[in-house]
Amino acid sequence: MHPLERLVNLVALLLESRTPLTFDQIRGKLAVGYGHQDASSAKRMFELDKDVLRDIGVPIEVVSTDAWDVEHGYTIDKQRYYLPDIAFTPEELSALFVAVRSAGDISAEDAVRKLLSGAERGILAGLGPPALGGGTDPNLPRAAEAVAEERSVRFSYRTSRGERSDRAVDAFGLAVRGGHWYLVGHDRHRGEIRSFRLSRISGDVELVGEGTDPPEGFRAAEHVRAGPWGPGEPETTATVAFAPDVAWWATNGVAGAEVMRTREDGWVEASVPWSPGERLVSWILSFGPDAEVVEPPELRSELVGRLEAILAS
Amino acid sequence: MLPEDAGRSGSGRKAPEKASERLRRLLTVVPYLVRNQGTKVADAANLFGMSEQQLLADLDLLFVSGLPPYGPGDLIDVDIQDGRIWIGMADYFGRPLRLTRSEALAIYLRGTVLAGAPGLEEAPALSSALGKLAEALGPEALGELPERVGTTEDGRTPDTLGELRRAASSRERLRIEYYAASGAETTEREIDPEEVFFAIGNWYVTAWDHRSGAERLFRADRIHATTGTGERFEPRGLQGAGRPLYTPGRDDVSVVLRLGPEARWVAEYYETAREVELDDGRLEVELPAGRLEWLERLLLRVWPDAEVVEPADLNDRVRELASRTRERYG
Repeated sequence: MHPLERLVNLVALLLESRTPLTFDQIRGKLAVGYGHQDASSAKRMFELDKDVLRDIGVPIEVVSTDAWDVEHGYTIDKQRYYLPDIAFTPEELSALFVAVRSAGDISAEDAVRKLLSGAERGILAGLGPPALGGGTDPNLPRAAEAVAEERSVRFSYRTSRGERSDRAVDAFGLAVRGGHWYLVGHDRHRGEIRSFRLSRISGDVELVGEGTDPPEGFRAAEHVRAGPWGPGEPETTATVAFAPDVAWWATNGVAGAEVMRTREDGWVEASVPWSPGERLVSWILSFGPDAEVVEPPELRSELVGRLEAILAS
Repeated sequence: MLPEDAGRSGSGRKAPEKASERLRRLLTVVPYLVRNQGTKVADAANLFGMSEQQLLADLDLLFVSGLPPYGPGDLIDVDIQDGRIWIGMADYFGRPLRLTRSEALAIYLRGTVLAGAPGLEEAPALSSALGKLAEALGPEALGELPERVGTTEDGRTPDTLGELRRAASSRERLRIEYYAASGAETTEREIDPEEVFFAIGNWYVTAWDHRSGAERLFRADRIHATTGTGERFEPRGLQGAGRPLYTPGRDDVSVVLRLGPEARWVAEYYETAREVELDDGRLEVELPAGRLEWLERLLLRVWPDAEVVEPADLNDRVRELASRTRERYG
């Protein structure tokens, strides 16, 4: 008998049996599968099959079949086996496919296929070939596990400025910003909520024990939000002119930037959010001679100061 | 040295598929077929990501399976006629196996990333799908996760995303205006867009570029405008999702920079060929670069937090750019 046939029969048998079956009973019923061997090799084969089924998620349980706990039987709980029907619309299923259909994540794609059987037929027409999605973060599954289970974790972390240290964090949540995953949680040494970009964790995330509850109304995303020039909302605005070639790109790139007018020479003047600090100056400098600060004057002189320092170096 | 055909992948033949893999697939595809009697073989194979041959081989085995005493009336009934599939006597396989925890997490996390991607037309459908999933699977599968995961908008919304995706699926050649960051200029070109994908916060399109006569990767938010040409193209099988975001070219020069704390973001933002932590706390990186214009601008931006190690003339080029920029201010 082909192993696949034996496995299918075993699942069917345990799903349909009203009472738990002992191995001998299973062997008696599935004679073609386990019967033609001596008892101990048949038992070994059955144990391997059981592992295969558990690996793919079949909830096989072992229960005692007598009051003295001598005999054991096997059963599959239908409640735990069957996927509940979820009334997805074709658009929703199609969107899930789009999300998981990315290179190298076959298991997620197969997982979505489990959701198809409850769907309307219309889904067939809606499935295009687009593969969207990008790389995976090796620490994401572990971090997700920690958040799902409210665990405490330990890892080695390097900040954006390059400072390295070991962290002990009660995992509160996960957030995505700009395509990067962040773990948000209570940093035990620093005594406050911090966010950690997963790509800056070196080595593994280690689950170490019970965590703590996040504060009331906790929202992971709020802890990774940032304005265009770093944390905090910009206080005021500056006027910057951009060369025709780069204007659309520049103004499209900063949240809150607005085009004010196009000059006769084709340059575009835009109002750009600004809070004091070096970042806006740095960003404007990245356009080289294709951008010019119009006002305020202090921003102009700050920028000129930077340029002269470069020229003097 | 091992002979060429040593190992499982080395030989031309594929290793036989594991029974566990086939079982997993069977327990997924059979419920669909039970509920959608008369599904075409070709449709089912396509939908479940398998070849028709694989599907028929799996159904062949199903046909001899069933319940004890395995008489004619106990076996699963598989009937394939005119390329359509009917399955009877398999009510117990009428619903698929539950998602495992890791499957549920994988869907949920991938879905969350993409739902937060700027400009995705499916985002509302995706969010409601994730909501239904979380509700149906309950805390057993996802724990506290659904309450604790969020996204925040960051990055540009590419105006042309919808048009690019439609052109990629209908294989239509497009004329685009593209802001090429490498040369800091907007260019016009015709492209054959093969695949659109989202990676590390940005949308990309893999395309054949008729201007350079080569395969190119374009960032969708840098595509300013698209015009359909009405011409169809034959896909060349270019790699999309999962590909490296920078493909080294033959004329690349090696640029080596030393980054101080304020400039370390450069190593996270651009693909590097080499990274070395220096004793003074700085990070030395090697960046492959085809053109130097973008690097001059980058260095203007991060000065004085980055030091050029090579090429030696890059510093002069940065000073020259600074001088041209300085002229704007009289």
